[in-house]
Amino acid sequence: MATTTMNNTTNDIEVSEGILRQQRRRRIVMGLIFIGIAVFIWLVFVAKLERGVITTFVMTPGGASAQAGDWVFPTVPYLNAIAGLCAAIGAYQIVRGFGKRTYSALALVVILFIFSFLAWATAGGSTNLAGLLRVMVVRSVPLTIGALSGILCERAGIINIAIEGMMLMAAFVSTVFASLTHNLMLGMLSGIVAGGLLGLVHGVLSIKYKINQIISGTVINIFATGITSYLSSKYIQKVEYQYLNEPGLFPQLEVPLVSKIPFIGPILFNHNIYVFATIIFVVVLTVLLFYTRWGLRLRSVGEHPKAADTLGINVIRTRYMAVVLGGMMAGFGGTYFSLGSSGRFDELMTAGRGFIGLAAMIFGNWNPFGALGAGMLFGFFDSLSAKASLLKVPLPSEFIGMAPYLATIIVLAGVVGRSQAPAAEGIPYEKE
Amino acid sequence: MTKKFYVMLSMLVLFSMVLAACGPTAVTEEPVVPTEALPTAVPAEPTQAAPEEPAMAIKACQVTDVGGIDDKSFNATAWLGMQQAATDFGAEVKYLESQQQSDYEVNINAFLEDGCDIIISVGFLLADATSAAADANPDQKFAIVDSGNSGKANVLGNASQIDQATFLAGYLAAGMTETGKVGTYVGILFPATQAFMDGYAMGVAKYNEVHGTEVEVLGWDMETQKGLEVGNFESLDDGRALGEQLLDEGADIIMPVAGPVGLGTLAVMQERGTGLLIGVDNDWSVANPDKADYILASALKKIDVFVHDAIMQAQDGTFVGGQDYMLTLENEGVGLAYGTAWESQVPAELMAEIEALIPQIVSGEVPTMPAR
Repeated sequence: MATTTMNNTTNDIEVSEGILRQQRRRRIVMGLIFIGIAVFIWLVFVAKLERGVITTFVMTPGGASAQAGDWVFPTVPYLNAIAGLCAAIGAYQIVRGFGKRTYSALALVVILFIFSFLAWATAGGSTNLAGLLRVMVVRSVPLTIGALSGILCERAGIINIAIEGMMLMAAFVSTVFASLTHNLMLGMLSGIVAGGLLGLVHGVLSIKYKINQIISGTVINIFATGITSYLSSKYIQKVEYQYLNEPGLFPQLEVPLVSKIPFIGPILFNHNIYVFATIIFVVVLTVLLFYTRWGLRLRSVGEHPKAADTLGINVIRTRYMAVVLGGMMAGFGGTYFSLGSSGRFDELMTAGRGFIGLAAMIFGNWNPFGALGAGMLFGFFDSLSAKASLLKVPLPSEFIGMAPYLATIIVLAGVVGRSQAPAAEGIPYEKE
Repeated sequence: MTKKFYVMLSMLVLFSMVLAACGPTAVTEEPVVPTEALPTAVPAEPTQAAPEEPAMAIKACQVTDVGGIDDKSFNATAWLGMQQAATDFGAEVKYLESQQQSDYEVNINAFLEDGCDIIISVGFLLADATSAAADANPDQKFAIVDSGNSGKANVLGNASQIDQATFLAGYLAAGMTETGKVGTYVGILFPATQAFMDGYAMGVAKYNEVHGTEVEVLGWDMETQKGLEVGNFESLDDGRALGEQLLDEGADIIMPVAGPVGLGTLAVMQERGTGLLIGVDNDWSVANPDKADYILASALKKIDVFVHDAIMQAQDGTFVGGQDYMLTLENEGVGLAYGTAWESQVPAELMAEIEALIPQIVSGEVPTMPAR
């Protein structure tokens, strides 16, 4: 009796010592990364700058009503201060460690790094910081919506790679309907219905006929690409059918009061309906999924359908509902391209955004707020890579554009954080 | 269950194939004639035979790419050249639309059997099919739009010095800008698209030299040959975002070299009510009449000139394959067209300056590409 206890305790101690050692190593590596970033800022950014050079950030995006003064600061002292701050964070990380807040510290250091990159690239000139962030918000919309569509489906156990096709179809259908009815809302609704119908097709193929869900999704993508390109080149691009391709655009809305806040207002509160709807959908979906019985059932079907079935949940019906709702969400996202962005339809105009939405879903760990964060991150890098080429940064802008996808791969590989897909994802449910 | 499923799947596959294949793939000799898009004196007569021409009439046949005959772009412009050939010297003209890439070969073969004197393929996408057919039929004359001759002795290729047109556009933009900054971006960077921006930037530099101004070009760096790149030719949403970025940075005139992507930029200009766009390849103010207020000018690539001349050469026996027909300012194969809403608003002196530049460019006195 006594010996067993002894053994157990020594094992515990050994195990925990192993964990501790591992934790210590991770702590120090992370600290070294922070210090490395500080050194990078000093060596690459500060070293080549002239002492007195000045950076100007414009704080008002073009076309905004709320004006804010430019932010003008001497580049070198600021960069020195930022590098010092990064080094200090790194030193603290090595000596004491941030514990659970390590990732917050990492995020802070990365933000500081990007800021100093911009300040360095802009040195001696000016760049529109508010415009950069505004474009980030806008660019996040189709990605976030795509990710929400994926979340709805995958949380119930259906892989949906057909988001791209659903978006494209919805963009097409909404363009035609909005042009015919001269009503943007009807156009949007028709797009949502189109997405929902494709979702139903995906449901029938993958739930009823238990076809491999990747294949089913691919079929839908090919179908949507083919039929929209065909109808587009055959009809709505032609002069005599031009009236079918003039749906108009949802207007920009200013949220009263808050849109007048300098800097923040134009970035967050002066957009068209899609940006606001995205935020609302993120909140609503979070509440529905994680705080209602409906959400619990949906998730249980995605994690362990047999258990759910045993408890009286109709797995098949729940999955149908999820995939149709997911299709409708993708359809809504598709109408952004036609009615929220360009006011017309052109072939292949979704340009792979639906697939990147899926990446955002994974990056956001199948969580609506995570998806929003990932969408914003991807949007930011899109926006930043354009800025970088405008600033003639001696670095191929593709590398900056690549950054978020590299990050996705790193997350998927489990190097940082861990992505946890629903357990029953992709497995057709077979009732016994 | 599985049987039912297979039936359903095959229905779906069949359905999509039928959809993709249906429509007038093969011999469409009755075109829906483009009217508004093509500002032409040619009456909207359908194709078939040219009027009252005796047996000597040359038979010219056009194979479109997947864009279709009235795509408001290359195919439509090429057809315009065909129609002009019909009116000018009574050529018999017809065309076949390709619905998908596999149609190129089919359509070319159909025309081979039809006994066409010259077959005109529109677009570099048809290059492979055309050169294969040229190999198999060494006596058949071919002309291909926007592509080289692939080293075939019976193919007349086509290239253009679009930089001469964008040079004029750059000069115009520099003269019209109110912010002192003009912008550009490209779909995918390769030598043919680089020429657009090089000409544009050279035009701006010329204006600066003449007027002592310091107009800046955003989105293209002549020295490094790098610039703002979309990465595709499809995403209008990207065009919108890049348009916003360029407008935010103070560029008030933007030339997108990215096909329909530029329409996203046009949308954001209309939404903000600011900025001017310079179209490329065809006249954007004609193709987008509802947004003509935001289209300053277009740098034209006049495919119709090439098509017309190729048919003429085949007619009078001067056709020589194995070379590329170059569209230039000199043969009016490229040029600058002012937007329909802006034609009257561009200052007369600026227009005169641009007009005066043309002979200097033609003579080579004013370079439109940076020295390398």
